[in-house]
Amino acid sequence: MSILLDADARILIVGITGKFGTFSVKDLAQSQTQVVAGVAPGRSGQTIAGVPVFSSVAAAMTETHANAALIYVPAVVALDAVLETVEAGCPLIAYPGDGLPVLDAMEMRAAALAHGAYLIGPNSPGLISPGKAKLGFMPSFCYRPGPIGVISRSGSLSYEACFRLSQAGLGQTSVIGIGGDPVRGVNAAEAIALFHDDPETRAIIYLGEIGGSEEYALAEYAGRPDAKPSAALLVGRTAPAGKKMGHAAAMIGSHAESWSAKVTALDRAGVVIARDLDGLASAAATALARAMKPAA
Amino acid sequence: MLVTEAHGKVLLRAAAVATPSSQELRSLDEVRACRIDLPVAVKAQVAAGGRGKAGGIRKASSAAELEEAFGAIMAMRFAGEAPASVLVETWLEIERELYLAVAIDSRVGGFNVLYSPRGGVNIEDGPPPLSYPVGLARNFRAHVFRGLLEPVEPDARVRERVISVARRLLDIALANECTTVEINPLVVAKSGALVAADAKIVLDEAAAFRRAETAAAIATTREKADRGIRLCEEANLMLVWLDGEIGLISGGAGMTMAAMDAIDSAGAQPACFLDVSGNPTPAGFGLAFDLLDRAPKVKGILVSMFGGGLHTDRVAKTLVELLGKRTSVKPVTLRLNGTRSDLATTILRDGGHQNHATLEAAVADIVKRVAEVRR
Repeated sequence: MSILLDADARILIVGITGKFGTFSVKDLAQSQTQVVAGVAPGRSGQTIAGVPVFSSVAAAMTETHANAALIYVPAVVALDAVLETVEAGCPLIAYPGDGLPVLDAMEMRAAALAHGAYLIGPNSPGLISPGKAKLGFMPSFCYRPGPIGVISRSGSLSYEACFRLSQAGLGQTSVIGIGGDPVRGVNAAEAIALFHDDPETRAIIYLGEIGGSEEYALAEYAGRPDAKPSAALLVGRTAPAGKKMGHAAAMIGSHAESWSAKVTALDRAGVVIARDLDGLASAAATALARAMKPAA
Repeated sequence: MLVTEAHGKVLLRAAAVATPSSQELRSLDEVRACRIDLPVAVKAQVAAGGRGKAGGIRKASSAAELEEAFGAIMAMRFAGEAPASVLVETWLEIERELYLAVAIDSRVGGFNVLYSPRGGVNIEDGPPPLSYPVGLARNFRAHVFRGLLEPVEPDARVRERVISVARRLLDIALANECTTVEINPLVVAKSGALVAADAKIVLDEAAAFRRAETAAAIATTREKADRGIRLCEEANLMLVWLDGEIGLISGGAGMTMAAMDAIDSAGAQPACFLDVSGNPTPAGFGLAFDLLDRAPKVKGILVSMFGGGLHTDRVAKTLVELLGKRTSVKPVTLRLNGTRSDLATTILRDGGHQNHATLEAAVADIVKRVAEVRR
């Protein structure tokens, strides 16, 4: 098992004729992932690397029975593309783009919830279930199958972190990028719930950062008696308050958003803390060992 | 981006939220022509927090005091920023200070309405404000908010006025695409009316493509910004200056912060957060090196890139060319890992440079070399 994305994934790419879309078709083909359709208005009847192109998501869904969508369109038209995909009945959607107005992110999230669909992003590399399928553009060589569920606010950090976990023999069930923006589709609490319900996931690794409040969802979860063991690495320990560190949401605006406040809450709740990237693999191994040998 | 109080109050008034009579003053001539009744509050206009505690707000009871306060405040700096103007306002007779805000909250997935019956400068020291998770602005319901307010705010008249101001703040946030609209303090005047004594409004920069006012505010800030930050924004690099001495060039927000933390763990401090992932080309790296080589506080440079989509062999070629032409003698440590890093290592070695295998080894190397330079 894995979360949301399995070997039976049939992916459609909205914006398949763009630079990212065409790159992604080839990249997914090398990652055992089936791309069954592309969407580009006015380009119906064409093919991109053997994949048929349709003018609308509804037409692509009807013809190909796609069950997941990857949306590569600019922020200016992203809300329209996501609404079209949600309303066409697609149950799983990744929108990796950044620079999305937060009001549009709120509308996307609300539309996905209203239709019972899962939206991943914005500002995220997507979702991968190693050895099964990939719905995104993360580098496949960083991942290998295994018992750890990974949640990350940062794309770049998740690549290197998972590369290190894989090298240490700590493979992953799924790795979900919840994104660096303040409003997102699947959020930390929802990703945690998905991993909690996945029988193959034995431990949860959370890669977070300063700013926002998502990390407290993990602290609340870890305090539950039935919680799976978890470990966390939060970056930005040395970031000054009041400065945006690249991500729209990575800014310390109040004490609760600081590294020390979040780490204190996680530590109290029993989450294994990695102070640095260097300590991540051992923290993950500690959490996994707790899963293998339940406390008496 | 945070706008000034004066700008914020223009947005408040446009939505019929009461503010004190005020005038924004930029010169001594304007101060002398000011017609606001004394006494007045004289307030520095800067887009930075902590202004009151830093002495940026004064009371003036005479024309002479007003002139003196204007001169003193304009000479001050707030988090490095010079005030562009002062706002002069009627001094308010305060019955009570409240706190009211609407702000984007990640766990709510939208707007959160926050209220405290005791606002003012020490709001962070008190109990956390009441929170009404609204989500989409159109889901705001007065009766739900009223139910939450009843145990917290015993004065029914204040309660009803707070509810109506909260709805207006949501209207402002929607109409202007704001991520925060905060009034602290929201003053209960002697008459019972609620008056916004301050305004902290944050515009969503991502909406600049469809909000002319946001685009204009970004352009104004960019003009005032440090040359390096301006150049980086134009070149699609992300730069934040920090207090240390290790110039850090990295890729991706999360990995750049992870590298900053690794430098701290090795006993040194980063001089900057510089993310080149938006433009990992000869032009992007060229600008990054130029800025760090010129900055006196930077004593050494660490380039740490993990290639995901990025091909590190291309980065290696770029770096060999750049370093070949470079005249600065500041030490440089390189670490390229990930996609095609074997090729990158070969290219760097042929160019006379070492590729460090891990972030930690590279950090240890640059920290040691910077320490040697200082000796």
